[in-house]
Amino acid sequence: MDSVQNQDLDPVTFEVLKNSFITAVDQMAEQMLRTCYSFVIYNRDFSNALHDAEGNCVAQGNADIAVHVGTLHYTCKDVIRVFKGDMHPGDVYAINDPYAGGTHFSDVRLIRPIFDGDTLVGFSQSNGHWSDLGGSVPGSFNVAAHEMFGEAVRITPVRLFHKGKFCSDVANMIAANTRDPGSIIGDIHSQAQATQVAEREVLRLIDKYGRDQVLQGMNEVQDYVERSVRQRISDLPDGTWESVDYIDRDPGAGEGMIPIHIKMTIKGDRITYDFEGSHPTIASIYNSADGATFSAVVAGMKTFFPDLPLNSGFYRMVDIKAPEDSVVSAKWPVAVTGFLMPFEKIMNTIFEMWSKIVPERAIACAFNLEYLLAGGNDLRKPEKPIYMFYEWLPGGWGGRNGKDGSDVTTACFGTGLMSQPSEGNERVNPTRADEFQIMQDSPGPGKWRGGAGVIKASTLLEAENTVISYICDRERAVVWGVEGGLPSMPHGLEIEHSETGEKKWLGSVFSNYKIKSGDRFTRPTAGGGGFGDPLDCDPDQVLEDVIDEYVSVDRAKKDYGVVVKVNDFDVLDIEIDQAATDAARAEIRANRVAWARMDPAEVSRMYKDGEIDELDAVRRYAVILDWGTGELMEISTAQFRETFERRSVAHWN
Amino acid sequence: MSKTRVAVDVGGTFTDVCVMDEDTGQIKIEKTPSTPDDPMRAIITGIEEADVRLSDVTMFSHGTTVATNALITRKLPRTAMVCTEGFRDVVEIRRSNKEDLWDTYKDVAKPYIPRRDRLTVKERIDAAGKVLVELDEDDARRVAGILKRRGVKAIAVCFINAYVNGKNERRMKEILHEVMPDVHISISSQIMPEIFEHERFSTTMVNAVVSPVVVDYVSRLGDKLSAGGYSRDLLLLHSGGGVMTPASVKDFAARLAGSGIAAGAIASRFIGNLCGYKNSIGFDMGGTSTDVSLAHDGESTVTKDWYIEYGYPIRFPSIEVLTIGAGGGSLAWRDEGGSLRNGPQSAGAYPGPACYSNGNEVATNSDANVVLGRLGTSLAGGDITLDAGLAEKAVRETVAEPFGMELHEAAEAIIHVANANMANAVRLLSIARGHDPRDFALVAFGGAGALHGVAVAKELAIPVVIVPPNPGVTSAMGCLLVDIQHDFSDSFMADAATTRPEDLEAAFEKIEAEALERLQHEDVAPENTVLQRTVEMMYQGQWRSLAVPAPARITSTADLVAGFHNQHEREYNFRREDAPVSVFRVGVKATGVVPKAELPSYDVTHHTPDPSGHRDVWFGGKPLRSNLYERTDLKAGAEFEGPAIVEQVDSTVVVPPKSVATVDKYLNIIIKVKD
Repeated sequence: MDSVQNQDLDPVTFEVLKNSFITAVDQMAEQMLRTCYSFVIYNRDFSNALHDAEGNCVAQGNADIAVHVGTLHYTCKDVIRVFKGDMHPGDVYAINDPYAGGTHFSDVRLIRPIFDGDTLVGFSQSNGHWSDLGGSVPGSFNVAAHEMFGEAVRITPVRLFHKGKFCSDVANMIAANTRDPGSIIGDIHSQAQATQVAEREVLRLIDKYGRDQVLQGMNEVQDYVERSVRQRISDLPDGTWESVDYIDRDPGAGEGMIPIHIKMTIKGDRITYDFEGSHPTIASIYNSADGATFSAVVAGMKTFFPDLPLNSGFYRMVDIKAPEDSVVSAKWPVAVTGFLMPFEKIMNTIFEMWSKIVPERAIACAFNLEYLLAGGNDLRKPEKPIYMFYEWLPGGWGGRNGKDGSDVTTACFGTGLMSQPSEGNERVNPTRADEFQIMQDSPGPGKWRGGAGVIKASTLLEAENTVISYICDRERAVVWGVEGGLPSMPHGLEIEHSETGEKKWLGSVFSNYKIKSGDRFTRPTAGGGGFGDPLDCDPDQVLEDVIDEYVSVDRAKKDYGVVVKVNDFDVLDIEIDQAATDAARAEIRANRVAWARMDPAEVSRMYKDGEIDELDAVRRYAVILDWGTGELMEISTAQFRETFERRSVAHWN
Repeated sequence: MSKTRVAVDVGGTFTDVCVMDEDTGQIKIEKTPSTPDDPMRAIITGIEEADVRLSDVTMFSHGTTVATNALITRKLPRTAMVCTEGFRDVVEIRRSNKEDLWDTYKDVAKPYIPRRDRLTVKERIDAAGKVLVELDEDDARRVAGILKRRGVKAIAVCFINAYVNGKNERRMKEILHEVMPDVHISISSQIMPEIFEHERFSTTMVNAVVSPVVVDYVSRLGDKLSAGGYSRDLLLLHSGGGVMTPASVKDFAARLAGSGIAAGAIASRFIGNLCGYKNSIGFDMGGTSTDVSLAHDGESTVTKDWYIEYGYPIRFPSIEVLTIGAGGGSLAWRDEGGSLRNGPQSAGAYPGPACYSNGNEVATNSDANVVLGRLGTSLAGGDITLDAGLAEKAVRETVAEPFGMELHEAAEAIIHVANANMANAVRLLSIARGHDPRDFALVAFGGAGALHGVAVAKELAIPVVIVPPNPGVTSAMGCLLVDIQHDFSDSFMADAATTRPEDLEAAFEKIEAEALERLQHEDVAPENTVLQRTVEMMYQGQWRSLAVPAPARITSTADLVAGFHNQHEREYNFRREDAPVSVFRVGVKATGVVPKAELPSYDVTHHTPDPSGHRDVWFGGKPLRSNLYERTDLKAGAEFEGPAIVEQVDSTVVVPPKSVATVDKYLNIIIKVKD
């Protein structure tokens, strides 16, 4: 069928080398976890890979963060492009260039050429998310940037170790451009050592099996994965699938969501993703360059083939067409630090398309990644040091075919990422968590509901010069349900100023907002979208959710048409009122299509008058408002309704 | 009758009762089928069958799976949690990550205590330990009243920042106790006074949910034993590798989670030490899985990163055991990419390998070993007969034909892949932690350990393999070889440069006082008390600490820091002499030494034993005429060269060509590995 059928290694040597390459990469991860400095790395935002002498990926860690998948070979090849002919044993290079296939500036990759004698046999690469790379905002996420110059330090390939000697001049120059130079130098050492772990393992294998066999093994493990992917794709029917998801807005333009269109075609044993129809780049950091877009596609697909090892053999089977200078194909110097926003849209759209092909793994939309950045001076400490923190929350994943979505789970861009302990945060930063718990009613209703999101409220303690920034999305492109399931809820942050007592909705994206001691900021994360018609949900299942307070009594009635009677909550004596439930379900069934098509201006009025809340607005009326003022978002509503009709209304009977 | 010591190891299939004569050191082992519904029945049966008179027993130690099984099967009494307002869901939010990153249909299990039974009260302590909000006692009584009405059997009290100040938790406990005097109450500031709420709450939750189960079991067993005439404390093996008495079990029940798995590691360490190898790797291979453990410089490696179910850490120190899905019953298969795989799927105990004739037709490691002649067709002294024909058929059909190999080539391929996978597991526990396998001996035990041990050692360049006298029941022996042991720790977060030795001394004094009190409570005589200190440190800005041994009297912080630099370099291959170092925690391991009985030893007379027979065994693609020995015939001092096979009731030892085996004075077989 194809050239890669020929395998020259005997099956035993092949299997042993394949597993040994993976063990080498796993050992790198162990080393990084135990020695890293950046807390982001410690919380598992990192990845490691082994490459062949051309830079192709031979093995990537199976516990690596999704968002780095499918990008490491690009940065390795860029290092080769720059240093070819001038590489030596003991060298280590660094690169963080998103325009060369990297993800964003925070992900700094250290790459070591591996030599057997004088012969270059491969590379090892260690990628870690550093806590800060400079730029105008602590943590290097400047939402207001349009171009990279206001974002962070761009590291095109540089040499950090030369024949084993640390190039402190270059390292110090990079570190000096960040807010946390001590940690940066520490992470350089930690990652450089991790790459040495893989070098040691490869040389051990060469010693045992000989150079030719090991090099052959590096090729054959890629062919092996390619063969497996080909096999699975050709077992699927040929066809074309299409969908669209949105980024909330272009801050440089008027209201209206930013489409990302994907058309997927399976033909024989190849698969193509065509992004024609996606919006041009926008005036914020929510753009993605080619490497990151490729990564999103691979990560989305891998979700449907969870057992396949990751290497370039997988990547060869995927073709991508993306319009130049679109939001999924940004070029230098367009700002791309917020690439995770298009990334997750691509991933969820791929979930939606593949759910049709592999229904036993079908899944609705997951909550959107969010992170809060804060920085200022900590007055609790006499020397008033600069503090800086950066925090992300878990949320709910989409409902599934036959079971509810996963509750409180890390965002889909990287399920290995750990959330942070409140006690650690309070100790290190002048903030105190007042609340960090599951957000009632966050799960998108469905026959199988979405997973639950959380709510966190924090108060700023003794501090000055503090600004906060928030990076999120899906305030308008609200987490959607499928197969008749309903959306979850809008993302966004609310601030309560202690001096005035005023509460203000700041939404899902803003930067450098000034806050003072005593101010309190609260943000929920969405749950997952619902799967299937909520009126088909077994009332006993809803009752259990009411008992556990994932779902309120009020929303059980509104969203599921399930009416419960609370006799004595203290002993959880709650029962279903069957007659009232039948009536409520009949009423919803009779009216819901009309509700979903009601005049949006009228819905806006009801919201302003306090007759309905935002859950009613998105779940019942499919209307997108400014959640602070209640103003109607006309274009966004039209876009949202188009997808709501397709994903929800069309499946109701 | 002479004094005896009894150790009981309860496994999934068998309960092993190990009886040691205190005078002669002779060990007798009684195997009896386990009774999972009430493990005590099998223990009592085993004791009776072994003819033990309980009044003669001076020490009764026990590795139990009661806690572990209760957690796995979730047969747990209704348990509640009381939390700080706003923090009801700490154990459900966890760290939000998943074990299987890519499989969206695989979830982390729900917490042991469901949301409905997690209630909150008004109270708050800040990060410095200051009480911001006193416990609202009306609120506390309201919650106590609800929990009483719900009839919960145990309660975990978990408040934010209680690790610095446990005042509110203690008061909550008093109130709950007033209302429900018979309910087990675990409070996080006592169970695990460490920063990071999920890890502390989770440990406390596990402790609470297993308390009623474990305490009930231990007291029933204790009563039964004393009724039979046993007059000492029942000793229970805990995950840290020591034992504890029922007095401590009452408060720290979760330490018994993982009790069973530690026994093999302890035995392996002991045997290694006995043979003069302070560095040893335990290789316990059974039917479906292999447990790997490591002892360095005479001490088992210990971890605080472990759990029974993913997502719910138990932060008590536990002997580190890496379990991989490779055993005698692991299946060999060809995947869609055309690669030869081995495990983790297993034919299990039933139907078992093809050669068991129970209907499985897929080749397993045992089938490959039969085809190669390494495993005989008559096992367990003739009780079990293996069908070589079925083994051949399975190897031929599932591996030889699909890969175009000869039969024996295919069988060797299966074994080779299995060995390489196991060697990779050992690498993660050794090389990845800075240990060089060439400095270690491999202790091979379990039913299949000695079949594969030498080949795995060869793969890792480990020079020596030790096979103990009864590889199939080595774990039970581990329970005999233990001391009373408890672990204590306290947060100590400071810059090492400004930390004075007297500050550290003060911190140690506090936990050492606690440690001594606990040992006294367990009737350990002062002369048998040993305290070992560690200081956990890290480079400022790092996120994981290293535990560095500290002297009994600390006179210089700089010496500790120097020790930290050295250890960091050994484990991670680099040091940063000029970078500032932080102190993170102080810890004390408190040991009540239990005098050990001597194992029997025999006079060593060097000799070449006479083989009991011969058979062709395949090595490196050729059938080689190999000597057969009966283990029971091998006397101390016997020496022979491979290829050879040693058969015994519970195991088979493979000595490959050129490797040389000797039998030492304890009847261990020591194999020098040659290429």
